[in-house]
Amino acid sequence: MNYIIQTHQLTKHYAGKPVINQVSMNIKEGEIYGFLGPNGAGKTTLMKMLLNLVKPTSGDISIQEQPIMASSYTYLKDIGSLIEYPIFYEELTAQENLKMHCAYMGYKDQNHIKKVLDIVGLQQIERKKVKEFSLGMRQRLAIGRAIVAKPKVLILDEPINGLDPIGIKEVRELLVMLKQQYKMTILISSHIVSEIESIADTIGVLNDGELMEEISMHSLRTKQQATIEMVVSDTKKAKRLLEEDFNANVQIMDARTLIIQQVHKKTSTITKHLIMHDVDVDEVETLHQSLEDYFVKMINGRDQYDSFN
Amino acid sequence: MIHLIKLEWRKHQMWRYFTSFFFCVISIYGFVVLISLDSKNDIDAAMGSFHEFMTPVIIFSNITFIIFGSVILSRLIISEFRTKTMEVLFTYPIKRKKLLFAKLTLAYLFTAGSLFAGIWFMQLITYFLQPSLGLFEGTVSFQELVATFPKTVTNALMMGAIALIPLFFGMRKKSTATTITSAVIISFLVNATVSDGGATFSLADVVIIPLILALLGISIAYLSFRNINVKDVK
Repeated sequence: MNYIIQTHQLTKHYAGKPVINQVSMNIKEGEIYGFLGPNGAGKTTLMKMLLNLVKPTSGDISIQEQPIMASSYTYLKDIGSLIEYPIFYEELTAQENLKMHCAYMGYKDQNHIKKVLDIVGLQQIERKKVKEFSLGMRQRLAIGRAIVAKPKVLILDEPINGLDPIGIKEVRELLVMLKQQYKMTILISSHIVSEIESIADTIGVLNDGELMEEISMHSLRTKQQATIEMVVSDTKKAKRLLEEDFNANVQIMDARTLIIQQVHKKTSTITKHLIMHDVDVDEVETLHQSLEDYFVKMINGRDQYDSFN
Repeated sequence: MIHLIKLEWRKHQMWRYFTSFFFCVISIYGFVVLISLDSKNDIDAAMGSFHEFMTPVIIFSNITFIIFGSVILSRLIISEFRTKTMEVLFTYPIKRKKLLFAKLTLAYLFTAGSLFAGIWFMQLITYFLQPSLGLFEGTVSFQELVATFPKTVTNALMMGAIALIPLFFGMRKKSTATTITSAVIISFLVNATVSDGGATFSLADVVIIPLILALLGISIAYLSFRNINVKDVK
């Protein structure tokens, strides 16, 4: 698998303080890379560095195997982007803004503009000036602008900000479509974890300017084994059985409830085993840890101590 | 390059400035005509020749169009930094210097062009109005009119370049107000006339001074984006 964007020990200092600290990230061609991090973690700065709007203090970036220098600009023709708040020429209409974008990108197919306005759901108001747009409409137009010139790489910074639930769902479906049909590589940042969880192939967690983890969703799912909660008649006996026979990690929560972790057997096998040994099982619940829990745990694990100081 | 200038023209809807242009020209001309008509019966103050009539026209035009130029600079460059549309522009596969050069060229050509067109237009009207209104003593021949052509061109080219100086002040804090204020001050300084009743003196009359300022304007324009490639966009 080829890496389309790679950074190596990327660092940015503002007034002597690191905002991005030795970040080495790898984005594979054709994947959706979810970029997670709390507000102020440096997501936007890092994305601006990929677009050469912010220059690194040290470290390297390479995009499509080309090293990016301070004065590089030709590589930008393959990148569509939406950074921070969607910015447009307010006096121009939605359609004119897209036309202008295509002219600057050197993209000639004018018919595609109409199609894109249709995709982002702005076909009715294409002749309205952008200054009359709501935040949601701007966001839709900004996504439209990012994809209109059919770039190979899409860099989207908080693209679902200001969108209604239907809009969020549409954007999610759109991104998956772009990945599948146009083989686009998409880097998307968000602080709403559940949105990324459902579409990303890889996630990178950024906190305080450091890349804390870069992991594929697949291996994350395997890593996060299910936790089983059981209500049984005899907790002590159940604990002993499970520990001895399955080598599981069992905690007794109260007189009747157990929490079982790191068990490599199916739930049905465990239940059967307990019943065979005269332990009645009244309730079984499998708890999946969501990406959100994982994310919060990772960020908090680090900050808990700091926040008390 | 021409493509980029055209895009800037379209994007900023520059044709809307033609209305402002005509408004400026009519105001300046109306004002000078009123002065001349008012002073007609006053022997001391009456305007003695075509040249004497055109002097205030040129001074007012220079001042007006240097300020006009700063408004255009503010719109094309300063406000694009302020509203962050410049950030969007810099994500295009075009050299940043080229983008800014296109903007500066457009601002320069528009300012110098309107100054030239404005003065020339007012001279032409004077030629036609003089016989009926008697704006000044004597007459003006078509040859005399044509003879002012080179001076009008050099004046427009120099003032257009001087109009770039406010960029230096405006770019420091990306402020439209600073750009226009500094343009007002610069335009008045350059075109102010000192008179002791008999002889008059204006900075603009000593050719070397506007020439130096014009070169300064061009260098400032260049310096303001010399490092743009390696700087963070803020």
